[in-house]
Amino acid sequence: MSSQSDPPAYSAAAAAPLVMRNGPRARLTRMLGPSGAAYVFLFPWLAGFLILTAGPALYSLYLSFTDYDLITPPRWAGMDNYVRIATNDPTFQDAVRVTLTFVLLSVPLKLAVALGVAMLLNRGLRGLTIYRAIFYLPSLLGTSVAIAVLWRQLFAADGLINNLLLGVGIQGPSWISSPDTALYTLVILAVWQFGSPMIIFLAGLRQIPADIYEAARMDGASKSRQFWRITLPMLTPVVFFNAIVQTIDAFKAFTPAFIISGGTGGPINSTLFYTLYLYQEAFGFFRMGYASALAWILLIMIALFTAFSFLTARYWVHYDD
Amino acid sequence: MKRFGMGRIAALAGVAAAALLAGPVAAQDAKELRMLWWGSQPRADRTFEVIDMYQEANPDVSIQGETVGWSDYWTRLATQVAGRNAPDVIQQDYRYLFEYGSRGALADMMPYRDEILALPGVSEEDLQSGMADGKLWGVNLGVNSVAMMVNATAFEEAGVRLPENGDTWAEVKELAIEVAEKSDQIDYGIEDSSGYEPAFQNWLRQRGKDLYTAEGQLAFDESDVVAWYEFWADMRDSGAAPPPDVQALDQRSIETNQVSLGNTAIGFANSNQLVGFSQINEDEIVMRVFPLVEGSTNEGHYFKPSQLLSVAASTEFPEDSMAFVNFFITDTEAGKVLDVERGVPISDQVREAIRPELDEDGLAQLEFIEGLDPYAGTLPPPPPQGAGEIDQMMISVGQQVAFGQLTPEEGAERLVSSAESILSR
Repeated sequence: MSSQSDPPAYSAAAAAPLVMRNGPRARLTRMLGPSGAAYVFLFPWLAGFLILTAGPALYSLYLSFTDYDLITPPRWAGMDNYVRIATNDPTFQDAVRVTLTFVLLSVPLKLAVALGVAMLLNRGLRGLTIYRAIFYLPSLLGTSVAIAVLWRQLFAADGLINNLLLGVGIQGPSWISSPDTALYTLVILAVWQFGSPMIIFLAGLRQIPADIYEAARMDGASKSRQFWRITLPMLTPVVFFNAIVQTIDAFKAFTPAFIISGGTGGPINSTLFYTLYLYQEAFGFFRMGYASALAWILLIMIALFTAFSFLTARYWVHYDD
Repeated sequence: MKRFGMGRIAALAGVAAAALLAGPVAAQDAKELRMLWWGSQPRADRTFEVIDMYQEANPDVSIQGETVGWSDYWTRLATQVAGRNAPDVIQQDYRYLFEYGSRGALADMMPYRDEILALPGVSEEDLQSGMADGKLWGVNLGVNSVAMMVNATAFEEAGVRLPENGDTWAEVKELAIEVAEKSDQIDYGIEDSSGYEPAFQNWLRQRGKDLYTAEGQLAFDESDVVAWYEFWADMRDSGAAPPPDVQALDQRSIETNQVSLGNTAIGFANSNQLVGFSQINEDEIVMRVFPLVEGSTNEGHYFKPSQLLSVAASTEFPEDSMAFVNFFITDTEAGKVLDVERGVPISDQVREAIRPELDEDGLAQLEFIEGLDPYAGTLPPPPPQGAGEIDQMMISVGQQVAFGQLTPEEGAERLVSSAESILSR
């Protein structure tokens, strides 16, 4: 968005005295002043944002205080929805527990795998672009129906995983349909799609000056010491960025659970992601008002999580320059 | 995308203006209707063919068909209705019909019964399923019933006699254990239907109860649920039914039914799904009525509308929509195209017209419905608001009991108290 709004404002101010004295931009600037002209150029984006994003968001805030079944007009319900969520909704608690478990497991694991692979790829390999593409592939495939089917095959009672386990004498359960293990198959699916943080880590690794490592080697620092003392501290801004983005994504995860559990969040709510519960309430049970309240609570949860990350960042994120 | 905000608004404004100006004129020369249904590709082919037939006979009407799968259907319909963009002709399910009807989204079809929606060959009894408070919210597209799907090949290979109509649950249990022991191709005898609402309802009805009363309250109590859960715990322990992690692979589709997955020899589904079961399974699939509860009324089944056709309250062309519904359900040529894919047609004429043209599965379905009388009772009252949520609760609590997280008593308590809280909401 900034790429669309900044250049016109900048060039209107800077270039006007030289070449644009009588051009349309210069006339606009004369008529409205520099910031007025900026708003004119911002207008298309601003209008789109207000009508297509801010408007519906505010409307959902209103709906969260109503009883709305999608067909008859909304009826004002005050705090009823929020009170019910806080005091009388065991499914909400299930959904929060499932989602937090998913976030707390999948994000660190995914970042660790992404960093590991990025470091492997950062050793001046030949054909790097090909490896990079291959490792990025799972992220491109996303959570399509095909992937969900593949996952069901892999983790079913007689799936590939259990056949492998059988080879070493272990009879595994049906991972995908046992309430104790179903969520972990979704965590593995999320970790498998480590492509985008990996690419960002790779870019970050390249920013670390080689002479620091050289100096460390001269002083006899071991590989692991180099990692803990140089690589990781130098990468903390990238780790921070990746952690924030991936956490927000994980909170909003929907498709994998929706497809793999057939939309139910089962078995026994073990894969009932928050967004899936919200979706069921809105479209399955015709409670759009209640679902809107759930959505706003999710927003607040994500905001708190992000704010907490930013507050703690000063203690572990190093910006050298 | 955001950049096009203004353009989009301008375009919308333009369209709106054009619609205002051109509305009445356009309405006169081409009446455009939309029809929405769920289902498979074969169903879509048949439906589009009937739409074409109708358009040919009525050149002033054009009908645009939209079809999606069951799981996306209710989202699509709810958003379209909420966006005041409801399709004119809507395929409905018995569970949702009254949710939409009572909220004012559907047109009352009763006023059209004299002429446009005469429905020749359809008995008043068959219309009951779409009626509430003297209003007709939808017309039955076909009759079906829950049915037991039996893998006849598996029974044959194991040398075990097939379950027959009139067998009791105890007898079917013994057959299931026997076939599981003797068969090479399947591991278990019968699907665990402890979380399958239609099976629970059939069993309740044989005990003289039901899921819901006409007032929208629960028509069963905790003791019924305890007995039901204990019965299925025994089925699992005896090896007749599969363990819960196997059963949980079921996603309420033909493809994920335990019979189609090759896990059990007996599964539970709807009679109009025999066609689908036969297509997916290489083995021969036959249908039987649900097992009987000893010393019961035997009348667990009922003739259920497989789907209904409704007309949106918001339609611009109620007459044309009703006329199309009338054609869809009672025209014999249309009936031949539609076959029994949506269930057995309710019109006598259509039924007789298609009988000679049915294939083996179609005929089996027709004969299943025609032979169902001794096992069928009255139609239960329409399910109350929240029934869909309670159905989902049944799956979840049934699994909690099967996985051993709850005892049958605790499960029964949880199911009844959650259901009551949903109904009172």
